[in-house]
Amino acid sequence: MVSEKRKKRSNLDILDEYLEELKTLTDKIMGSSFPEGPSWNTETCCLHALSNVFITPREVIVTADLPNIEPETVKVEMVDENLIEITAKMKKKVRFADLGIYHRQGQFSFLRCQGRVDVAVDAEKMKISCEEGILEVRFPRKNRHELKSE
Amino acid sequence: MSESVKIVEKKPIPSEATMIIGLPDVGLVGLIATSYLISELNLEEIAYMDSDLLPPVVVLHKGVSHAPLRIYGNKNLIAVISELAVPAPAIYTIMREIVDWGEAKKVKRIVSMGGIPIESRQSIKEPEVFGAASNQELLDTLSKKGLKIMNEGYIVGPQALSMRYSVSKKVPAIAILAQSFYNYPDPQAAAMALKELSKISDVKVDISKLLEKGEEIRLKARDTMKRTQQEMNRMQKAQEYDLPLYV
Repeated sequence: MVSEKRKKRSNLDILDEYLEELKTLTDKIMGSSFPEGPSWNTETCCLHALSNVFITPREVIVTADLPNIEPETVKVEMVDENLIEITAKMKKKVRFADLGIYHRQGQFSFLRCQGRVDVAVDAEKMKISCEEGILEVRFPRKNRHELKSE
Repeated sequence: MSESVKIVEKKPIPSEATMIIGLPDVGLVGLIATSYLISELNLEEIAYMDSDLLPPVVVLHKGVSHAPLRIYGNKNLIAVISELAVPAPAIYTIMREIVDWGEAKKVKRIVSMGGIPIESRQSIKEPEVFGAASNQELLDTLSKKGLKIMNEGYIVGPQALSMRYSVSKKVPAIAILAQSFYNYPDPQAAAMALKELSKISDVKVDISKLLEKGEEIRLKARDTMKRTQQEMNRMQKAQEYDLPLYV
């Protein structure tokens, strides 16, 4: 009986995990297909930057459009094993008024973006370059196994 | 003319003008270039598009509402821009209406401005610009005036339809396409496209201000780019990377 209960609970756990994964995946797909909401955050003084993630057989390349930034302030962090966050300080603060918007208040000092990477990467070996405000971060991929042919 | 879309004229429309189309697309090249042209040449709003196919949106500029898809002009030039990403399902009807209207106004040619997505764009110091035309004679003229020709490839989206409908209406059509980022606003590519436009037409503007304002434009254009990217995905814009097969 006990083992049957354990088995049942275990199946439910698996189902829960499966549903959780499905929800995360759905949120991700819906989030990228219908990116609603403002492209700024007045609390964190951040403007959201445009970014791309490219996954190649050997590496993951993340790029971001970071105009008006001080290149030496660029920070690339792994928020968790699948989420990369890029932040950079802008050369000068941007107010809504600078963008021609007078019915909102707030000013922004940073550009920020996040990119989801669905493969394992070696964050310690990342290479960063930034030219003309286009940031490129290259991560080697982990867990590559070569199959030896006989 | 389609019932679901119409162009409302506000001022007399010039005839025998060159019509430039700059709708949101790859790198927002066409939109940035044409908007800059409108601003530098002080073109006035002469018409706008009214359509149930477009989202229920007006754009406010200095407190006054404007239709997102507007037409500007002077005696020799007509410029079409949209501050709204044109929904992919509406693009056929909208482009057909623009070309039909241009033909009715006896435009002498249609010039569609846009970008060609290049994967290694960040390593290119000065984007190259390529041209395509609706007929061989026009293509030869572009070539003689020094415009590089896009020999083989796919064009997807507004430029493709302006070219396709212009051919059926026998209106000469040109596409001017600058190498650009796919989904990052690219004012430098827009500037290069304008530089080439000046070679093949009498539309000449100083691009230095556009290059100076590049970073500001990139900041301002993030939302338009994001929404345009959604529509480009729906139009299968990535097909522009494909190699055509013609044996």
